Amino acid sequence: MSDVSPESGMDRRKFLTVLGASGGGALALSGCSTSRVEKLVPYLVQSEDQIPGVATWYASTCTECAAGCGVHVRTREGRAVKLEGNPEHPVNRGKLCSRGQASLQGLYNPGRVKAPMARGADGRLAEITWDDAIARLAGKLTAAGGKVAVLSGAGRGTFSELLADWTSALGGRLDRWEPFDHEPLRAANRQVFGLDQLPAHDFAGAKYILSFGADFLETWLSPTENQRGFAEAHGFAGGDVAKFVHVGPRRDLTGLNADEWMAVRPGTEAAVALAIANVVAAARGAPAALAGALGNYTPAMAAQETGIPAERIERIAREFAAARPSLAVAGGVGAQHAGATELCAAVNLLNYVAGNVGRTVRFGADLAAGDGFRGLTQLGTAMDDGQVAVLLVHEANPVYALPKAAGFAARLKKVPFKVAISPFLDETAALCDLLLPPHHALERWDDAAPRAGVRSLMQPVMEPVFDTRAAGDILLATAKKAGGALAKFSATTWEAHLRGRWQALAAERKEADADAFWRAALQRGGVFDEPPAPVEVSLAPTAAQVSYTRPAFEGNGAYVFAAYPHAMLHDGRGANKPWLLEVADPVTKITWNSWVEVGPEAARALNVRNGEILRLTSPHGSLEAPAYIHPGLHPDVVAMPLGFGHTEYGAFAQGRGVNALDLLGAPAGEFVAYLSTRVAVEKTGGYRKLASIEGTPRQLGRGIAEAIPLAAARQGLTVAEAYLEEGHGEHEVNTPLEVAALKGWSEKQFQMTRKGDYRRDLPQWGMAIDLARCTGCQACVTACYAENNIPTVGEYDILKGREMTWIRIERYWEGSEAPDAPPSARFVPMLCQHCANAPCEPVCPVYAAYHTADGLNGQVYNRCVGTRYCANNCPYKVRYFNWYKYNEIAWPEPLQLQLNPDVTVRARGVMEKCTFCIQRIRGAQNTARLEDRPIRDGEFTTACAQACPSDAIVFGNIADPDSRVVAIKQNPRGYRVLEDLNTRSAITYLAKVLHPVEG
Amino acid sequence: MAVVARPLPDRAPELEITQTQADVTRDVVGTLGRASTGYLLLLGGAVGLFLVGLLTFLILVKDGLGHAGYNPPIFWAVFITTFVFWIGIGHAGTLISAILFLFRSPWRTAVYRSTEAMTVFAVMTAALFPIIHIGRQWVFYWLLPYPNQRWLWPNFKSPLLWDVFAISTYFTVSSVFLVFGLIPDVAAVRDKVTGWRRTVYTLASVGWQGTDNQWRHYTRAYLYLAALATPLVLSVHSVVSWDFAVSIVPAWHGTIFAPYFVAGAIYSGLGMVLTLIIPLRRALGIEQMITKYHFDNLAKLTLLTGSILFYSYSMEYFVAWYSGNTFEQTTFFRRPFGSMWWAGWTMIICNAFVSQLLWFRKIRTNLTALFVISIFINIGMWFERFVIIVSSLSNDYIPWAWSDMNPTWADWGILAGSFGWFGMWFLLFAKSFPIVAIQEIKEMIPMPRKRGGGGHH
Amino acid sequence: MMRTLAFVLGGAGAAGLAAVLAFGGSPSAAQQQATPAADSATAPAIIDTGSLKGPRQPIFFRHDIHAGQFKIQCQYCHYSVAVSTEPGIPSMQTCMGCHLVVSGSDSSAKTEIKKVRDAWNAKQPVEWVRVHFLARHAHFPHQRHIKALGPSACTTCHGEVARMPQVFKANNINNMGFCITCHLERKVSRDCSVCHY
Repeated sequence: MSDVSPESGMDRRKFLTVLGASGGGALALSGCSTSRVEKLVPYLVQSEDQIPGVATWYASTCTECAAGCGVHVRTREGRAVKLEGNPEHPVNRGKLCSRGQASLQGLYNPGRVKAPMARGADGRLAEITWDDAIARLAGKLTAAGGKVAVLSGAGRGTFSELLADWTSALGGRLDRWEPFDHEPLRAANRQVFGLDQLPAHDFAGAKYILSFGADFLETWLSPTENQRGFAEAHGFAGGDVAKFVHVGPRRDLTGLNADEWMAVRPGTEAAVALAIANVVAAARGAPAALAGALGNYTPAMAAQETGIPAERIERIAREFAAARPSLAVAGGVGAQHAGATELCAAVNLLNYVAGNVGRTVRFGADLAAGDGFRGLTQLGTAMDDGQVAVLLVHEANPVYALPKAAGFAARLKKVPFKVAISPFLDETAALCDLLLPPHHALERWDDAAPRAGVRSLMQPVMEPVFDTRAAGDILLATAKKAGGALAKFSATTWEAHLRGRWQALAAERKEADADAFWRAALQRGGVFDEPPAPVEVSLAPTAAQVSYTRPAFEGNGAYVFAAYPHAMLHDGRGANKPWLLEVADPVTKITWNSWVEVGPEAARALNVRNGEILRLTSPHGSLEAPAYIHPGLHPDVVAMPLGFGHTEYGAFAQGRGVNALDLLGAPAGEFVAYLSTRVAVEKTGGYRKLASIEGTPRQLGRGIAEAIPLAAARQGLTVAEAYLEEGHGEHEVNTPLEVAALKGWSEKQFQMTRKGDYRRDLPQWGMAIDLARCTGCQACVTACYAENNIPTVGEYDILKGREMTWIRIERYWEGSEAPDAPPSARFVPMLCQHCANAPCEPVCPVYAAYHTADGLNGQVYNRCVGTRYCANNCPYKVRYFNWYKYNEIAWPEPLQLQLNPDVTVRARGVMEKCTFCIQRIRGAQNTARLEDRPIRDGEFTTACAQACPSDAIVFGNIADPDSRVVAIKQNPRGYRVLEDLNTRSAITYLAKVLHPVEG
Repeated sequence: MAVVARPLPDRAPELEITQTQADVTRDVVGTLGRASTGYLLLLGGAVGLFLVGLLTFLILVKDGLGHAGYNPPIFWAVFITTFVFWIGIGHAGTLISAILFLFRSPWRTAVYRSTEAMTVFAVMTAALFPIIHIGRQWVFYWLLPYPNQRWLWPNFKSPLLWDVFAISTYFTVSSVFLVFGLIPDVAAVRDKVTGWRRTVYTLASVGWQGTDNQWRHYTRAYLYLAALATPLVLSVHSVVSWDFAVSIVPAWHGTIFAPYFVAGAIYSGLGMVLTLIIPLRRALGIEQMITKYHFDNLAKLTLLTGSILFYSYSMEYFVAWYSGNTFEQTTFFRRPFGSMWWAGWTMIICNAFVSQLLWFRKIRTNLTALFVISIFINIGMWFERFVIIVSSLSNDYIPWAWSDMNPTWADWGILAGSFGWFGMWFLLFAKSFPIVAIQEIKEMIPMPRKRGGGGHH
Repeated sequence: MMRTLAFVLGGAGAAGLAAVLAFGGSPSAAQQQATPAADSATAPAIIDTGSLKGPRQPIFFRHDIHAGQFKIQCQYCHYSVAVSTEPGIPSMQTCMGCHLVVSGSDSSAKTEIKKVRDAWNAKQPVEWVRVHFLARHAHFPHQRHIKALGPSACTTCHGEVARMPQVFKANNINNMGFCITCHLERKVSRDCSVCHY
């Protein structure tokens, strides 16, 4: 903690002044403004672990989803400024997804509730004191006489235990729920293996991956972990490459990474799964019982159901059977329709007969999840029956996240007293009578047990930004106030309670010194045991009761409607974080607003173009949004992302786009079926330009995102050789003479720029990016925004192509858009190539763009006058201009506290671009100099390389022959983008590796 | 100019000026008299437009360039377009006054004063744009080489720096040329007016008495100035063209640019000359002095440069195709058929095709037709620069970054402002100084007199 | 090549101005600012604080007494200067470390020290007026300069603070020429991005 002065602590003003003292860049580049009287405000007491100008790192845990990744929080002068993965954490191993990184913007979110609020006589929420708030809650609870219900977001740990005890002490009911709670998955596990838990999936070990709609790179179970594993299996390291087949009506980011896409009719995945299981069982000789159960499900039958040729299903089944071990997963829209449980059961059997259970599917890991939707249904009934006098909602937002038809809002009104423990004024909180703002995860003590063998800690990395309290403290304080049954909660503070729990934990683990155990855990970010050995699972008697029912959808519209979780906003919880709104959706590349996806055929049928507004009408409602033509969509389907259309939830989220849930009916059964209705689609005649960062999604043969066949890669061919191999014409059309002439010329031309400093023995920074590993997830982009104080420019400026993405992921379509041969996607991260012979440098009249001695394209913001010639002359188009005073408008209070003090915030009128995180380079140089040593390879890396969950980006000194980056650059797959321009870029891309296209 | 004073058999009729010397002085000085309402309206309009531009500029300085239609990768758009446009305008003037002077071309006399004025004011206008267009206008002076405690110097490799030098040189020389040419006429006016105006003109005429001696030095100096100004016509716009040719942007990176731009510049300049003179001669009642014959010649020159442009356009497309360079080819394909086809076609039609009408003498000598054509030329040449800059930038190497742009109120505001600024100066000039060179007209009046006058030796 | 040329020209061109601009605040300037009591061990008693250079501070903290007379090392209070880019502003605790016991010899000292104690008791940190303020777009790693020039390096930029009753700006540290001149003399990097990023 930065400042142990008793109560007031470090208020925001003090942040800024101390920041001023630290001279950091967090203020605009506004010239040498020495005239202003600056105040230096010292700490009252200087804490040992904060040195001004030096970052302090704290280990903590990410709470953005149930995966529970470990994070390292970088703090400067008592402010958290960046989140990175905790390398020691077994779940994410030092990597972090966009949503995890954006948790920082939750901390500093302008929409946060700044103090406890209560609904006054006038029906408005007004701020009250904490004592008052606690008293009111305690009073109501005592009065409620057991008629108490608690609804809490998912998550497992000491707090949820406390919450459970606390609720039961009150004699109330507790339901832990969040959207996409994987209910079908658990139901299927109960049915097939008799285990009510979620297994861990080992993508890295799989030789063949079959996904039935599971978006395991975006939201499914543990995305960062999945992606790391997937990159291991699917990336090329000389040997074999796992094949990945995506089965489902829509290609999401995961689907776009598939080598083959089976565009089945919506809801028919189970038929494929069973047919494949059938074939595999035959090939592998499965137990008779199963063989019998699977017997009827032939490829022919599946072909009839899905519209995929039987041969193709058979081939994939054989390939799947041949690969050991393989892995089949079900989720996403595939597991969000009425037949979801059937599908998951089928997939379980498939894994079982293929012998994957216990190898790539590991039970016993017991991933954390909520209690499922059923609980919520019961709660609803209880509310209807007036069984709930006091409802406490903790970090859950059912009013938004459930279809309107579910009528939760209406039910809420029936509850006399509603309390929300929510950091934001979300849709649910807005309907409550008492609003208790809890600490953000970065402000509080807490722990999480995301899976067996992992118990990771959270610690306050800074003083609270607002007048908030840890949820635990709220419960304990209320308990103290209310007394009675709650009197048993003796702990004075939540921290004490947690420490007590950990002492018990130490005792369980027979730790000699509980304090040492605690300190060690705090340092590492938790206690991480070896992953438990997979529990032996056997088929439950109900296992053979697999079935497939042809999907039936409500309504009689022409298209099946698929609502899917947005890769950035997830279920909508991300919609108040500018980074997640501005960093484009990885598939459509649309920012800041909703859209409707239609397939190419549907688009032709409807005669609709991108941006034309469509009206979707289902039995339950109707909404309008601009169309986006998605080549990876089944002709019968229109799809929409969730997460938009908030009516509350802060200025960033409010009234932005439409909520796809409005088209869905009241969920019946165990889970919310997001794929359950048909919709009628019609053109409104309106048009709204899509705020997309996509220009022309075709490479036009310019070799930007290259790829080579697996066979060629195995032979160690270069991209050019591979082209010849495939019988393509020679790339270079020049005659040998011309080539020779050009060579001589280009070398001479290059040498002209190598004068002065450049011969000195300095590191030359460079990068290698492996497209065979890159999945296009954009964690690097978010990391760049966080590290380099990149402003979010907003929808209006993105419509004018003014986004500031120093690193962007370009998504190019390959192949035709014919239904039989759907286009595949190639992702390529595009950032400043730091050309040794850079076109941007000579044209700058003031040397703002120039070449540094250590091989960077320097960009001196305070020298730039803004002629923008450099940007015109940059063939990679990776220079970005400050058209407005983004430095004044992009970070509304208190969001500016997230700014990295090591990086100048660029003022209006100057050019900016990727600098290979020069502040990190200079930082490392400073340290190395103090220790009189050269910089060690891998001692530091750029923000993008650090974040990349699939480890596709490697940064280092290309002048050092032993560095990792040099080793990778020597890979025959290596190529440079637009090499013919003689720019001598410092970034080498490794061509993507393609499986041979069959069938 | 004895050469022309000698009656030429065929040209004689046009060159015959029936007025007496006294008439000439009276007529020309008459143009400086009390301002007509029409004039005042024009001037008011010009000042109004200028104020619009000024306001727009202030808003841009306040909020940033975002208000303009810039849409990356289009980082240069309307402002640079208009900059090149005005630089181009500035070229016909020097061409007519200096080059035709050196070539002893008889008909320049009547028009050269107005074209020189046009040149100076066009360059004055163009010179504003480098400042308007940059992101931090208030540090514009960093582009100038001056010793400073930072030990920093501008980058002499950058074409933008060459621009700074080229424009300032051109402005200096052309304004000196104009002022110098004015001396004898100012003196003539001085002798006609009274009161404070007399004092002003006395100062401006730097003691000109029209003595033999003065004439001798004057004519000699005028000749040298002409010789000095001539190469600038070629050099300045070549430098401007290198702003583009030196880059690696497809369709900019071409050796054809310098001659292509110079031809274009003169073409656009002539267009503007016609646009200005046709109404002017009526407004000032000097039809006697600027006759159909002059327009015929101007039109021929326009036809010549227009045809050079036509050739350059075709050559660009040919080279793009012949080079086999996919980037060039894409750009040139998208010019007429891409998202900005409208600009592409405006440019080709207005410049390449319309100018071809001037093959017909009837059209060349029909002032209405000429005026309309000249308007087409102005529009066409503005769009030429727009197309070269915007549509080339809109689709270069990385397809993912491709985009197109639509100008906004800020773009139009600045464009209007530039016309206002130019018009304002030109009108003020026309009222304060003889818009037709008195002395040289007089020389063309066939009567024996002391020889002398511009350029003779 | 042009770049080198530019600098050569720069050198030549600026030579004339150098005296005026670049050397305007070279280390030598600092000495002239020293108070009369150049090398006396005891700092002078000061009655007329109004005549002192530099901004008036909320507390009349005398560097000349602490650093000059009592020879307290700069780094005792500016604790992070050798390890961090920032020198570190001493916390109130650091002051109280001594001033719990030291309450001042003469009346003026007593009053000032009382202010410190009051601030400490009121848990209200003193708001010092900033004297040296480097533009935000220039990064100055203090530790590198201490490492290169030794612990006495402070005077190079800050002047003889140990002789200043009230700290004032001895050199215009915001004047880039001031940095460049030094970097030129010591033949260290003049690469823009060493400081500007």
